[in-house]
Order: sequence, then structure tokens, then C-alpha cells
Amino acid sequence: MTHPPDACPECDLLLRPSRPIVGEKIVCPRCGYLLHSPREQSVERVLALSVAGLILAGPANFLPLIGITFLGNSHEGTLWAGTAGLFAEGFWLVAALVFLSSIFVPLLNISLALLISLHLHFNRPHHLLAHWMRWLQHLEEWAMLEVYMLGIIVACVKLSDTADVQLGFGLYAFVALLLVNVMLTGSLDGYLFWQRIAELRRKLHGQG
Amino acid sequence: MGKAERGALAQGLVRCHACGHLAKLRRARHCPVCGGVLHARRPHSLQHTLALLISSYALYIPANIFPIMTVNQFGVIERHTIIGGIFALVEKDMAPIAALVFIASIMVPLLKLLGLSALLLNVRLRWQRHPQWWMRMYRLIVFVGRWSMLDIFMISILVAVVDLSGGVSQVIAGPAATAFAAVVVLTMLAAKSLDPRLIWDKQNKL
Ligand SMILES: [Zn+2]
Ligand SMILES: [Zn+2]
Repeated sequence: MTHPPDACPECDLLLRPSRPIVGEKIVCPRCGYLLHSPREQSVERVLALSVAGLILAGPANFLPLIGITFLGNSHEGTLWAGTAGLFAEGFWLVAALVFLSSIFVPLLNISLALLISLHLHFNRPHHLLAHWMRWLQHLEEWAMLEVYMLGIIVACVKLSDTADVQLGFGLYAFVALLLVNVMLTGSLDGYLFWQRIAELRRKLHGQG
Repeated sequence: MGKAERGALAQGLVRCHACGHLAKLRRARHCPVCGGVLHARRPHSLQHTLALLISSYALYIPANIFPIMTVNQFGVIERHTIIGGIFALVEKDMAPIAALVFIASIMVPLLKLLGLSALLLNVRLRWQRHPQWWMRMYRLIVFVGRWSMLDIFMISILVAVVDLSGGVSQVIAGPAATAFAAVVVLTMLAAKSLDPRLIWDKQNKL
């Protein structure tokens, strides 16, 4: 079995790739771009992971990530308070960027993944499926949970010099959300998703 | 180099940016599979990258000379620039964290600015001697781009945790934070608007 002819998205080399089996990887012979690596039950995994992500998003955003005790005074900080604090100080551009990359885009990506995988799983065509998938592909790099995690670690080390640092429940939810996000990106087989979206599109146009 | 080394565009085929469908050039303006607009190469790729890069260079200066963070402790106000914050970490014997912040806040933005400038020259002047080598640099730039947000996120956490209301200690962002955040976003957009296929177009016989 062979794929229809394809071109490498990063070097435009014309290819006639063979259809890989699960666990195999098809790589561009010229530039090394990972063209396709099929995953087992990609749609179902994305569906399950995006539900888990939505459940974790609440506690990760609103429960305290870390708390400090300094001279008997204690105070806790949430993900949400980081954005709100910067906004209150008048740094609305920075606040907007932090909000987008740590809260909004990760949540939007999970919601889009849920919408798409739901439609694919139940074979329901929708005229916006391709739009959602394109948005998901564009927004992927603007979700920066792993960078935020590193920021939390650096902040903890800085604070531990002068104050007692306690880890909050929100931090565990945040780490879980981060892991779910990484697994979601890893389970999403873009090639398969586009193939299924194209099939559903034909179904939609055949009916109408 | 035989026919196998030729690019899709040289054979009249265009790959859809979004879904990867291969369409005949000039037959359709929109992808028949996903409905996205078809372009052989990202339109005005070099101009967009250049404009974003120049803006990034301009903002890189205020990002490094103004304070990025102000710490108010017992009424004593301490202002830290990016470099100053790193030195403060070294003085407190936190060298590994200092190295991390140095890489994310100094090395990565510099690599992006200089690397993208070199890539732009390489494509514009069609040097294109070692596309594999340039490609590796392009992918490194795309991969590391987001990690320069480290300092911004760290400040956002400090702002949230260190008591704002009537506490003895307070953390306020500095004017460099806006400039630095803009540098991160603009360089990410600059890397995104540079079409990597342009690196290969001499090999593609275009
Ligand atoms: Zn390639
Ligand atoms: Zn398409």
C-alpha cells in the first residue's frame, strides 16, 4: 500500500511514501522532517485526554500553586493571580501574553481537540471541522505550560532564599494538566485526523 | 542530482499549508480538502521576517537596559535588569538557576536574532551551500523560541505570591518586561513567517 504522492512541508521534496504501521516513522529523506508516525487509537486517546484536561483546568487555574510564609505572614499565589497582578500593576501587554500562553491557549487547544475528536469518533460531519483543526495546528506553539513550569521552579528557588515555600494543591493539578497536554500532542495523529476530516467532508457534501 | 531531488513546486504541485493535500498549481485557489488558501510559498515571507526582525532588534535594547523587576522589601527598593537578576542569583550561590536564566533570557534571544538574520541573508543572497546545516539552525530557533518566556513567567509568579496588600515585601514588573515580552513574541512570529522551503529552493531547481 502506498500513500498518494506527498511533498515535504519543510523542504518541498516530492515524495511517494509507503503507508507506515503503528510504531513506524516516516521521515523526509532529505531534511529529516517527521512526516507521519501513526498512533494506536489516536481519536479515542485524544478524546479521553481532552476530557481529563478540561477537568484539571479548573483546579490548575484557581487553586494556589505555591504559598510563602515570610516573617509570620503567609500568602498564596494562583495561576490566575499572576495574570491579574500584572494587569493591576499596569503591565497589560505582559499580562495579556501570560494569560494567553498559560491559561487561554492551552484551554482553547484542549477544547478544540475535544470538539474534533468527538465528531470524528461519532462520525458526525461538521462544516467547521477543518477550521478547528487548522486553528489547533496554528495555536499549538503558543501554549507554554512547560515553560511556565520551569518559571515556577525558578521562582521557588528564588523565594526559598528569604521565605518558606509550600507547594499548593493547584501545583499538582497544573503538573497533571501539563502531562495531559504533552500526551495529547503526542497522541494526535495529524495525518489520520486530516484523512478522517476529508472523509466526513465528502459525506457532508454527498448529503447536501 | 536527478529528477528525484526536485521539489513539488518545480513539478507544478502545491502542498496545502494546513492539511498537506497536494494540489495542481493554479487549478484552485483553495484547498479541496480543508478549504484553506493555497500558496506555493508563504507570501512575502522574507519581507515579513525582516520587518519583525528589525522591530525585535529595536526592542532588544530597552529590554536589556531597563529594569525588568522591582523588589520592594521593608521600603528598600531594588531594581533588577535581566543581567542584574542573573548576577544576584550567582551571588546567592544559585549558579545552576543563574545558568538556566542566562540561557533562556540572554543566549536564546541572541541566537534567535543573529540566527534569523543569517538565515534571511542566506535565503536572500542564495548562498544555500549547506541546506542541511541551515535547516538544523532553523529548527533549533523554532524549538527554543518559547523558552525565553521563562523570565516573564517567573515574574508573574513572584507578583502573584509576594504579598501585594500591606505586606512587608512586594514585587512589581519593570518597563523592560513589556519590551522583553515583545521581543519573544516578535522573534517567534519572525521564525514562523520564514518559509523553510526557501532554504531548499536552489536544490529544488527554482
Ligand atoms: Zn524534507
Ligand atoms: Zn488543505
